[in-house]
This record gives sequence, C-alpha cells and structure tokens, in this order.
Amino acid sequence: MAAPDPSGISHSDIAVDLNCVSKTFRQRQRSEKLGDILKNLVRPVFREVAALRDIDLKIARGEIVAYAGPNGAGKSTTVKIASGMLAPDSGTVRVLGMDPVRQREIYMRRIGVVFGQRTELWMDHTVAASYEWKRVVWEIPQDRFERMVGFVHEMLGLGEFYKTLVRELSLGQRMRADLGMALLHEPEILFLDEPSLGLDVLAKRSMLDYITGLNRDRKVTVMVTSHDMAELEQLAGRIVMIHHGEIAFDGDFARLRREFVDRRVLLLDTDSPLAPNLPGATLISTEGHRHEYAFDAGETGVGDLLAVAAQQTQLLDVETHRAPIDDIIADIYVRWQKAGNRREVSESPHGNSPTDRP
Amino acid sequence: MNKIRRVLHLWGLYARMDALWITRDLKMFLSWSISDTLVNVGGLFAMLLLAQRFAGIGSWSKVQVLFLLSYSAICGGLIEVFFGFNIANISRRVGRGQLDHVLIQPQPLWMSLLTEGFCPFSGSVVMAPGIFLMAWALPRLGIHLSAAWYGALLLNMVASTAITLSFQYLWGSIAFWAPRAAEEINSSTSRLLGELRQYPLDGLAPALTAGLRGVLPVGFLGWAPSRALLGLDSRPLSLLITPVAAVGFGLIAVSIFQKGLIHYGRTGSQRYLSFGHRG
Repeated sequence: MAAPDPSGISHSDIAVDLNCVSKTFRQRQRSEKLGDILKNLVRPVFREVAALRDIDLKIARGEIVAYAGPNGAGKSTTVKIASGMLAPDSGTVRVLGMDPVRQREIYMRRIGVVFGQRTELWMDHTVAASYEWKRVVWEIPQDRFERMVGFVHEMLGLGEFYKTLVRELSLGQRMRADLGMALLHEPEILFLDEPSLGLDVLAKRSMLDYITGLNRDRKVTVMVTSHDMAELEQLAGRIVMIHHGEIAFDGDFARLRREFVDRRVLLLDTDSPLAPNLPGATLISTEGHRHEYAFDAGETGVGDLLAVAAQQTQLLDVETHRAPIDDIIADIYVRWQKAGNRREVSESPHGNSPTDRP
Repeated sequence: MNKIRRVLHLWGLYARMDALWITRDLKMFLSWSISDTLVNVGGLFAMLLLAQRFAGIGSWSKVQVLFLLSYSAICGGLIEVFFGFNIANISRRVGRGQLDHVLIQPQPLWMSLLTEGFCPFSGSVVMAPGIFLMAWALPRLGIHLSAAWYGALLLNMVASTAITLSFQYLWGSIAFWAPRAAEEINSSTSRLLGELRQYPLDGLAPALTAGLRGVLPVGFLGWAPSRALLGLDSRPLSLLITPVAAVGFGLIAVSIFQKGLIHYGRTGSQRYLSFGHRG
C-alpha cells in the first residue's frame, strides 16, 4: 500500500511530482552608450530572472491539468523541466517515479512531448517516413507500431496526408501528425506546450477532442499549456496558474471563478431607451431598448439587480450569462500586473519582498 | 556488441532516408549532384593545375600532390557522408536550439550524433572525386602498397576525419554560450579547414608548422599523414602521429562539448529556429 501524500494523492498515483523547483535565468543587460559597450565587454552586466520559484506541483495519473499564465510566467520552463530538457537549479523533479535528466534514455520511452512551435517530424520526408524513423529510434516492436499507426490514423484522420511531405502540410495537419507521432510509443504522460497554436477553430476543436479522447480511452496523463482559456476549460478539470514563477492558483475552473471574480453579463429589454441605474453593476452598452451590464455575482445578486431595475422601468425580457473565461483571466492578469507594479515600486534594489498573491 | 549492431541499424535507417530524400525529385537530384560535383572538383583544380604546371610543388612530385589532394578530399568526404545534416556543423544545431530534438530521443547522445548525419548518397558527391584521384595516383606513386600500408592509410584517414570533427566541435561549442553570435561559426571553421588542408606545408617556419598542427590543425588533414604514408617523413612511428593527435584533439573536444552540454542543461535554449528536424 502506497503512503498517502499530503496532497491527497498516494505516491503510486502521482505521475508528476515537482518539489520546491526553482529556476533562474541570467539576462545580459546591454546599453547603446559607447562607454557602456566597452565596459560591458570587460565586465558584462547581468539581470537575474526567476522563471520558477519553489514550485510544488503534483499531477495524478490519468489527470488532465491545464497549466496557464501570462507570457513569461514560466509555463514553458516548467514543461521543459518536466520533460527532461532542462535541469532545475534546485528542488526535485520526479515524473513516473523517474528523474527526467538522470534517467533520460528510459524516461523518453515513457513520455510524449509536443511543442506547438516546433515539430519532431522530418520536414523533407513524408509523415509515414517520420513515423518509421520513430519506430526504429524508439525501438517500437513492429506489431505494436502497426497497432498504434492504425489507432492514430483513425483518431487523427491522417489518411489524406500520410504520404505527403511534412513541409507541404498545413499547420493543422502538421499538428495532427505531430500529436500522432508523440503517441506511437504509447506514452503514459503527454506534455503539450501550446498544442493548438495557430490552428483554426475547427482544427482546434478536433485537437481538443483527440486529447480528451486519449485521456478518457487510454488513461494518458496530460499536462497542457495554452493561452486559450476557453480551450483549457473544455479540456481540463484542474487549472494551475503560474505568475512570476510561482503557483498563484491550483484548483478547478469553478473555484477559479468563485475566488477571483464571478463575472456575469445581464441583458435587460425594457420599455425605455434610458438604462436603469443599477448599483453594483456597470453599464456596458445600450442599443435601442436593450441594456447590457456587467456585474460580479459574488458581490451582487441578480435578484437584487432585477428588483432595482423593476422599480425604475418595465422589464420586457431578461438574459444573464457567465462572462467568457478569457475575460476573467484577463481581469486576473491585469490584477496581477497591478500588484506586480506595486511590488516593483516597493522593492528595494537589493532586497526581495514577499511575492504578492492575488 | 549490441551498441555496434544498433549503430549499424541506425546507419541503415538514415541511409534509407537519405536515398528517399535525394530521389524525391529527379530534377532536383540531378541539378544538385551536378552542381555539387562541379564545385568539389573545381576546389581541387587550383592545386592540380599548379602541380601540372611546375611538375610538382616543392619536394612533392606531381603524383604525390595528387595523392595529398585525394587524401584530403576523401577525408572531407567522410565528414560529409558520416556527419552531414549539421552534425559536423554542430554550432547550427546548438545555436538554433535544435539539440532538444536529439535530447528527447531515448538513446545516448553520442549514438544520435554518430548516426543521424549519415548520408551515404547525398554526401558521396564530395568523396567521389577524391576516390577517383586516389585510384589514379596510387599505382603511379612507386611505393610498395601492402595490406599494412592500406591499414595505415585507413587509420590515418579516420584520424584526420576525427581531428576535423574535433575542431568543429571545439569551435561549435561556443554556440552553447553565445547561440546567436556563434550559430554559423562552424561554416567559417569548416571553410578554413577545407581551403587549407590540401596544401603541402614544407618549407614553412617551424613555429608556423607547429601552429598548423596545433591551433589550426590543417597539417593533420592531409600534409602530415600523406608525408608519412608516402615515406617523405622518415621518423619512426610517423604513421602514428596523426592518430595520436586525433586522440588528443578528441579528448579536448569531448571535454569542452560536455561542459557546453551541462550549460545547455542549465540554461536550455531560448532561441528555437525551425529549419526542420535535421536543422
């Protein structure tokens, strides 16, 4: 019997275990002044950027976790560390019970990695030739390979371009082929870094279906990063948000809405072109007799707003819905940015202040 | 034994892929191989014409110069055949952040680097003129061509190729620390070696000769091994000088490259350029 973990996941059930992982990069500072250029040649000036600060993250086997955050938050760094392409400065990384860097060769047989900005396919060969290359290099037994090629063919619909040069594929086709290639050796865990980058709506929807299908049918653990929050919400039950290299939120999307802001939209059709004055709600627009408001359901009840509106005008129709998750995340990022700016102002040049968490 | 079998297996894979690549378009294949052959033969012509005009160069007879040319051309060809697709020009892969493609393969890095650049068909265009020249020169050299001599020839060629590769990796490792600035450094070092390796270096000042066997080891890529093989260097064990130098250069290159790899593991690559898998 495996020992229980404080997170509630037993050790044998943990697929990814990052413990106090930190990573700092050094950025060389440059100046255009002639004097500084000469000085920098002798004594270059560096700025330290903390990409990850004491990250603790556990992902259970069979789970899909969305990993999100603004640009430069540390998402790709985390994926690179978890997939063994980068070593952390401190802390421990165990994925499927292995150290990704020290046990790289065995480890790579058990994981799959897809980066939206790059391809593991051979650009000047067909998809079929790339898959054959994978079979030989990963030493996939022929019968298993054929079974998996059949599976990815069916799942991703590769038939139409399987024998086309990768260079000639559309981005959507290339991403499908890349995902298929990552699956050929039947990885237990998939790291997907921006897998839908640049895809159109249909291709994106297909990609989401493939990933959820994989997780549902084959119990593949998935860690996925994206900027598209609606996409992540469809895909994952759990979202981990990273900001300034720290985990700022770890929970489900419903909790995210509750904890940050449960932004709703209220649409009122009235008998008057004048919009009622509703305390606790912000008027967004008025078109004819239709008035749109935004409000935080955590602070103001929709019943209260309707009662106030009814006192001022006659209500003909009422509509209310949740704001898109992207809007909520944008609010959170703005809030973090403001908090970050305040922190930067209050920080002394040499000291570190505690991280602001929203 | 398993490792050797695996290397041979992978060479087979990459040979097939090379054949597929080169035959994917007949027109491209023909224009590419004709132009490449012309460029490579043209590169040998300066020395050929000099040797013809002056019936040799310095103490080297015309046939000996041809042997030197063929030796250096074959060694250049070996690099193209075994370490093509930017395995010899490693600064490109490192500088473009494409080492990640190799790192996610479930095999030792050395095995990927030893096999992934194998292109016996597209790379042979460089080696073919060298083999042709050597086949012409050998029977005219007037030396006893025993099995041991051929063994020494092979050993020295492998050593010269290893020195070229070591030199490329020594300079190419700079790209670990300066990816953008040093991405193309191996194009320059490769050109430098290619241009100088076919010259007889006799008569140069000792310091310069030492430099051309040390800092810039072109002396080991044609001149020194050819002298030993042709009997122009009467020192005992002269045939082993290039192989011993290859071991030395190899060790230094491996040590520096490993340091670079450790740095790469710490910093990763913030600069990925997608030029395809072989970069």
